[in-house]
Amino acid sequence: MAAAEPGSIEELCSKTWKPLYLFIYFKVQNRQEAEDITQETYVKAMSHLLSGKVAPNKYIAFLKTVAHNLLRDGWRRKQRRGTTVDIDAIHPQDYATEGPDESSIQRQTLEDALMRLNLEQRTVIELRIIQGYSVAETARFMNVTEEAVRVKQHRALRKLADLLKNYD
Amino acid sequence: MADAEQKLSEFIDRLNADLQPEEDEHTTKSDELRELYRTVRKVRRLREPTMPEEDFAERLTDAVSRRVSRSKPHAKRKTWGWMTAAAAVAAALVLLLNMPMPWGKTNIVKAMAEAFREVNAYHGVLEIVAKTADGESRLQGKLDIWADKNGRYYVKSLDGSQQGLVTVNDGKNKWQIQPQDREVHLFPALPDAYRVQFEIGHEIEEAERALSASVIGEDVIAGRTASILEVTPEGGLPYRIWVDAETRLPLRKQTAMVHAIQYTFTYSQIEFADAIPEPLLTYRLPDGFTEIAANPEQIVLDAKEAETIVGFAPQLPEDLPSGYVLDRIAVVPDELRVKAYYTNDSQNSHVIVTQGRAAGKLQPAPDAVIGETGDSAVEVLPPAAGDGSVGSIRWQQDGTEWAVLGNQPVDRLAALAETFMTAPLQLPPADNRTKPIAEVEYDLAIEKADQQNADAGSSVWKLDPVFTAQVFVSLQMMPDGVVGDYPIALEDLVVASNNGVQAIVEVRDESAPIARVYVERVVRQDDTGIWTVVGYDPRTP
Repeated sequence: MAAAEPGSIEELCSKTWKPLYLFIYFKVQNRQEAEDITQETYVKAMSHLLSGKVAPNKYIAFLKTVAHNLLRDGWRRKQRRGTTVDIDAIHPQDYATEGPDESSIQRQTLEDALMRLNLEQRTVIELRIIQGYSVAETARFMNVTEEAVRVKQHRALRKLADLLKNYD
Repeated sequence: MADAEQKLSEFIDRLNADLQPEEDEHTTKSDELRELYRTVRKVRRLREPTMPEEDFAERLTDAVSRRVSRSKPHAKRKTWGWMTAAAAVAAALVLLLNMPMPWGKTNIVKAMAEAFREVNAYHGVLEIVAKTADGESRLQGKLDIWADKNGRYYVKSLDGSQQGLVTVNDGKNKWQIQPQDREVHLFPALPDAYRVQFEIGHEIEEAERALSASVIGEDVIAGRTASILEVTPEGGLPYRIWVDAETRLPLRKQTAMVHAIQYTFTYSQIEFADAIPEPLLTYRLPDGFTEIAANPEQIVLDAKEAETIVGFAPQLPEDLPSGYVLDRIAVVPDELRVKAYYTNDSQNSHVIVTQGRAAGKLQPAPDAVIGETGDSAVEVLPPAAGDGSVGSIRWQQDGTEWAVLGNQPVDRLAALAETFMTAPLQLPPADNRTKPIAEVEYDLAIEKADQQNADAGSSVWKLDPVFTAQVFVSLQMMPDGVVGDYPIALEDLVVASNNGVQAIVEVRDESAPIARVYVERVVRQDDTGIWTVVGYDPRTP
């Protein structure tokens, strides 16, 4: 695709939405926000893409960078008053480049840190966050009260956050 | 601190539901929560991402085109003429099916209950669709379900990120086959928090218990004609179930829209059988899978073998209430506890009696009903109304802590518990209200809204009488709002009495201006009901 022609929004979206969505989902970890930010990213980036200022082989990197900036600037906080990403200030050398290797390293770091929690802390994180069970279900599995689950998950995450700081 | 734990939990719940959290790292004022919210998101990266629905690219293109000022043709308005005739047919059906029975239930609910009495087991493919307030729908999951009336089930996930996940409970053991991790996790059969979603027997019980249930129309589901029944539960939002005209059994359920999301459960296929096929309920470790034993129990042959492991002779009385049969004995070696499993086939029930050395004084759960046996307190936790969940009775005698738990009403659990007690079980009367010195007025409409929030997983602290009292006392001490930790610690609040509907919480911190808080389940009087402060006793110097 040369400099994108007006009328090619459909083609542009259909060819690029999946890696962009996955990039955003990786950051926000919920479908609702991932879909909203994906849409917001295209709205912010579209006129720039359609103007031909971005090379087609850089579309995805450019879109990820716009999304990255939306996220960094507290997209959520600015929903009501509109987002303010300065598209023209994004240069090709600044394009987001986080790829599978970075993800794998982060995953490994996280798994290492999880292994350093005690069994109870790992269990509550596994059940609540990785398996996605409710507090009530987790309480039943762990044979503790729901209040105890909230206390344990808070302590486990506190410990995990401290461990992850050591990897940073 | 408790507030932070609650917020963190709500954050996790929202992400688990694939929804944007109400508070996140960008909006919280707490540095600690900001860090913990980020940590939760990092941990979730170990999960597979949830992809949008198939039409996302199309919707995205439309939305982006609209927002960058490119016009799209509008869909033609639907014509409504054909619906007039359909509405007339539906109105006739409504009239026919809503003719009241002598005892006030509608024909269709009674017909469902009668039809289900003939069913021993069923097999269906259940589709779960989530719809947002914007009208967006997506398939949340697709399950292959086998269930029977004894609470046994086999559930396989056919779609989505959990595709291939199998969960089985054969009444004695529960296991979960996790193909992505090539692991099989083992769990005790009871207590079992897992619920077969849209379990037909449960839905019929709910409709029977509801404040009202009436037919509002007709529809066709998977090629089958169905009546649409609107069910209004006590203190809850109305929901709909679609009842197959031929089998008189529910085919679909649609929840109310709560927090901008509505779920629809549909059996796209269903068939009835005498039993769940035995191979599905037979445990087998697939080749190449690892067994993860989350079940710490060890089955023993008899009381003597249990004694050699736990160091005391368990009591196993032979004179049991009618219908109960000892099924098996297990020990939990790490806890030096014995678990005796009883079944009662006439009531389709499983009850466990545990006994082990008491470690310290019994500390009843805050929401428990407090009874007595001899001079000892008894903790009674009734099962949640009608959903087959587990209730329990726990007490101590002669240095041993006992618990009886099962999917039975409290009176049946109590009958079994009494065979192990040395003195009769005394439960508080349903109405043992003591009048507070100062009454607190409440707005029932607000309480009903809070109940609906609690049903949807928000404001769950109102399900705990102690938390409810803590918030009330704290706000009396800090009328402009609680800043930082609550001025009254949870450990200074003690449930003095609780009959399941009314409770009195004592405030044991002398600095508090209140000595006792009176709370009551004013909206729903079971353990899903929220607590409301109805009065208090000021502290006298």
